Amino acid sequence: VNWQSCCVRCDSSVSSAAGPVDTIYALSSGQGRCGVAVVRVSGPAAGGALRSVAGLSRALPAPRTALLRSILNPQTNEVLDRGLVLWFPGSLPGLRPAEAGEFTQRAFHAGKLDLTEVEGLGDLIHAETEAQRRQALRQMAGDLGQLYNDWSQRLKRCLAHVEAFIDFSEGDLIEDGVLNQVDLDVPQLQMEIENHLCDERRGERLRSGVQVVIAGSTNVGKSSLFNILCQRPAAIVSPIAGTTRDIVETSLDIGGFPVLLSDTAGLRDTGDCVEKEGVRRARHMVELADVTLVLVDSTQLPQEPPMVSGFLREYLMNVLPSGNNYKQQRLLILNKIDLLPKEHISAIQNVLTQTSDLAPVCILSCHSREGLERFLTLLQDRLKTLCGDPLAGSPSLTQTRHRAHLQNCVEALNQYYQYRNVDLALAAEGLRLGLSSLGRITGKVGAEEILDVIFRDFCIGK
Amino acid sequence: MLPVRRLLAQPRFPSFSPARSSSNSSHKRYDVIVVGGGHAGTEAAAAATRIGAETLLITQKIQTIGALSCNPSMGGIGKGHLVKEVDALDGLMGRAGDYAGVHFSILNRRKGPAVWGPRAQLDRSRYKEFIQSELLNMPRLTVIEGSVEGLLVSAADPEQPGKHRVTGVRMADGGDKILCSSVVLTTGTFLSGSLFMGRTTSPGGRMGEAPSCAGLSHSLKEVLGLKLGRLKTGTPPRIIRETVNFSLTQLQLPDPQPTPFSFINTHTHCKPEEQIPCHLTVTTPGVDRVVRESLPVNSHVQQDTKGPRYCPSIESRVLRFPGRQHQVWLEPEGLNSDLIYPQGLSMTMPPEMQLRLIREIPALSQAEIHTPGYGVQYDFVCPTQLFPWLQLKSVQGLFLAGQINGTTGYEEAAAQGLWAGVNAGRTALSLPPLSLSRTESYIGVLIDDLVVHGVTEPYRMFTSRAEFRTSLRPDNADLRLTPKGREEIGCVSQHRYQEAVRVQQGLTEALSTLNSISLSPPCWREKLSDVGISENKSTLISGEEMLLYTDVSFSMLASTFPDLLSPYLEFAERIKIEAVYRPHCEKQQREMERMREEESLSLPPDFDYFSQQVSLSNEVREILDRARPSTLGAAMRLKGVTPAATVHLLNYVTKTDRKTRGK
Repeated sequence: VNWQSCCVRCDSSVSSAAGPVDTIYALSSGQGRCGVAVVRVSGPAAGGALRSVAGLSRALPAPRTALLRSILNPQTNEVLDRGLVLWFPGSLPGLRPAEAGEFTQRAFHAGKLDLTEVEGLGDLIHAETEAQRRQALRQMAGDLGQLYNDWSQRLKRCLAHVEAFIDFSEGDLIEDGVLNQVDLDVPQLQMEIENHLCDERRGERLRSGVQVVIAGSTNVGKSSLFNILCQRPAAIVSPIAGTTRDIVETSLDIGGFPVLLSDTAGLRDTGDCVEKEGVRRARHMVELADVTLVLVDSTQLPQEPPMVSGFLREYLMNVLPSGNNYKQQRLLILNKIDLLPKEHISAIQNVLTQTSDLAPVCILSCHSREGLERFLTLLQDRLKTLCGDPLAGSPSLTQTRHRAHLQNCVEALNQYYQYRNVDLALAAEGLRLGLSSLGRITGKVGAEEILDVIFRDFCIGK
Repeated sequence: MLPVRRLLAQPRFPSFSPARSSSNSSHKRYDVIVVGGGHAGTEAAAAATRIGAETLLITQKIQTIGALSCNPSMGGIGKGHLVKEVDALDGLMGRAGDYAGVHFSILNRRKGPAVWGPRAQLDRSRYKEFIQSELLNMPRLTVIEGSVEGLLVSAADPEQPGKHRVTGVRMADGGDKILCSSVVLTTGTFLSGSLFMGRTTSPGGRMGEAPSCAGLSHSLKEVLGLKLGRLKTGTPPRIIRETVNFSLTQLQLPDPQPTPFSFINTHTHCKPEEQIPCHLTVTTPGVDRVVRESLPVNSHVQQDTKGPRYCPSIESRVLRFPGRQHQVWLEPEGLNSDLIYPQGLSMTMPPEMQLRLIREIPALSQAEIHTPGYGVQYDFVCPTQLFPWLQLKSVQGLFLAGQINGTTGYEEAAAQGLWAGVNAGRTALSLPPLSLSRTESYIGVLIDDLVVHGVTEPYRMFTSRAEFRTSLRPDNADLRLTPKGREEIGCVSQHRYQEAVRVQQGLTEALSTLNSISLSPPCWREKLSDVGISENKSTLISGEEMLLYTDVSFSMLASTFPDLLSPYLEFAERIKIEAVYRPHCEKQQREMERMREEESLSLPPDFDYFSQQVSLSNEVREILDRARPSTLGAAMRLKGVTPAATVHLLNYVTKTDRKTRGK
């Protein structure tokens, strides 16, 4: 964990019906991966604790004023980190330790954050990479909330117009025409939500990491590439074919994008039952991958350059799952080029530039690190397409929870068409269900709000 | 008391009975006293009586019991649901409507049975006649004329929540005291009511009648410390029928076959061919002009008291939507009445301007006004001070129903009256009070909205207020409420109960018979050639599933399978509706159960929301402390109470529940 900064806040009083209490402390910013950590100490001994960790001999800091101090281990006086300390004296009545998520909850209560913003804040705390942080910030600023709220408003209006038509039309001056607008608005809304859902999981991917899998035959240098990418010898590398028998995984930050990188067993027919299982797992991993790095030992390529593309096509078919998921990104990597003569390499390159139906190709050597720069740039481009630029275009769908509610909403809207001309109560029920699905993301919409829209938009006579 | 009662028991001659509360009444102690003889009061008195309580109804004038003081109609969209539910609980309104209706129609016929709005134009005198003859012949019910000046209040029973206990009422003039266990107040617009016409204001709740005693307002506000608010409403001028040029209007015919409101009536009193039409016309720019000219001399309009948004005066319609044509319905006041009620022309300007205004409408260019329109402003008791059984939280034994709770409309009043009467009766007989859930009835929706959210304008029922609209239909109100009304509530007669059980059995049998019929698509195509069954369909289709096709009716199926299905032909329409709605209602079941669960978790009325034991934000604490919801379900529906807060409350309540159960 990279502690960018540390903050200790202490408050001295805890009020409780239960009388005298312990001094308690907690890592308030949540477990693990946090850019900024906040440690909260609360209770009668909080002042003493603050003095000792902040190396303050007597006086406590001025109340509610941040002070930059070295944070010490009170026993050894070893400096742990530098950070801000804050002192909240307990003269404030009713102070008590926060429960999990309570600060956010309060902001939510006070209407300062809506549900998507709260989730964005959670993501921000857990953001490991720059792109994740930007997306989380954007969500926290309410972009996603704004988008969902906008849909919710528009659907609310549609529903209000249908409800107005149900509750008032006969004997009132609500023309049948009100439904015409609804008939236009509902499909438009449905289309927008569907497009948002069809983002190929960009936002979710950015949030949870892009699955990148290295695959290929045995002894082509998969584990070497893996080790280079994670900048440490995480996987065992040996000249023996079939060294890697299980999936080796690590999470990385590549160009600001979160990546879950997996090294897999080399694909070959084998009698060894352990290796067989490894191959099965490797194939499964490739199926789940967002990006597959298909590695080839370039010394194994056919000697005649024109044969190369045919060889590679067959190789790809063998590595990639049948049916060939078109959404899946892949890179073909020709490794060990340090072992080939220069002329041969350019001959191969020549052939490949004329073949367009293969995956993008990188030529590199894990040993000499030749071509590695270009490979990384190419990989980063793939990641960018997969995650989207969090600051461009409409905000991305970041939570699986949102996806489920949005899908329910789209389905519910179908019910509107189904019953539009048969039973308007059931058609309206579709809109109600759709609105309540959206409401589960942004907050509820009550009957009174619908009536407000009705009375705002119509002159109701009876 | 007895001689008075015998005299009153002759409803045909109510004008012969200038009866006042005699001193005899002070010797008798009643279970329930109902104050007010409008829609809420009559239903309350009748319901308390059905529960088995010895009941006294006090009204200013026996003659006005059951009066339709505004529009000569009842039912409609949402309101029709309430009428059906009041009827399902054996109330008066539905049967009175069937007796007095002269023009029946079902609104929203094209929009699906869940939102059908049964409605009728009524004959005012017949309506009154029916209600009076019902009440004046009811065993255990005494009716007297008189004004209640105040409530008798004593210290609260410490075993029950509340600060005070009501023990009876004090009559005006003589100052007689009449003792009882429960009081139901249904004073309508009479609580500090004032009437407005032009620039003149006079005290009163209805034109031509004495104002209510100021003493009652004083009792509520000063003695009991209740929070009151003020609302306004209005009524249009009545127009002399023969001065209207109907040839310039659009004719509105009733349904050729009238549908009765009541589940126990097979037909209406009025024969189909005896029904009378309504007429429709529209306003002109001249109407707008008169409205604007009238503003300086129209004090009702200038007040900021809240009026209804959906039943606005012509003044507020013109001001909010200028330059539009507004509809005006010319409704008959009765079979033999020479008056017309111009629905949509409620107004409060001076009478001479009212005449000028209506004459701007071509069909009314020669019209004469019989009685001018006027506005009313009145006090209401903020209904958040009520339990869902309509008893005031702070006053044991005191129940409120109708406009006093901030609602508008006959149907809303009747629904509350019935429920308040049921609970006043039950409380007097030492039975636990009951509440109706939003998941089972519009009455439940109405009362829950009132006690949870309160009102800022006169409250009216709409179908959009009911979250379980597809399940709470007018057609199935009897199935939803009548069995419960007999078995749990005790307000339904044996006769009605048996009828509901018979219908329920019939429907269940019919549906299971339909499901026992299962044919392949080609077979169905052969039998019902006109129905477009998809060619792709290959599985067997049951009779119930066939009813999902819009153009398949139960009678079509019955003529195909006469032996099996013809016994159920009397339920044909209901079976079709049940079949179409069943899948949707089943989808709602889970949501309904969740809500019922939340409603079953009661929050103690004296709960300290500021205690530290339950983790809530200060805003939520304040909201809950102010509203004091009776159940967790009610708490969740409060504006500003977040899902997180509910979780904390739920945790707290279930934990405390476990603790108390452990003891």
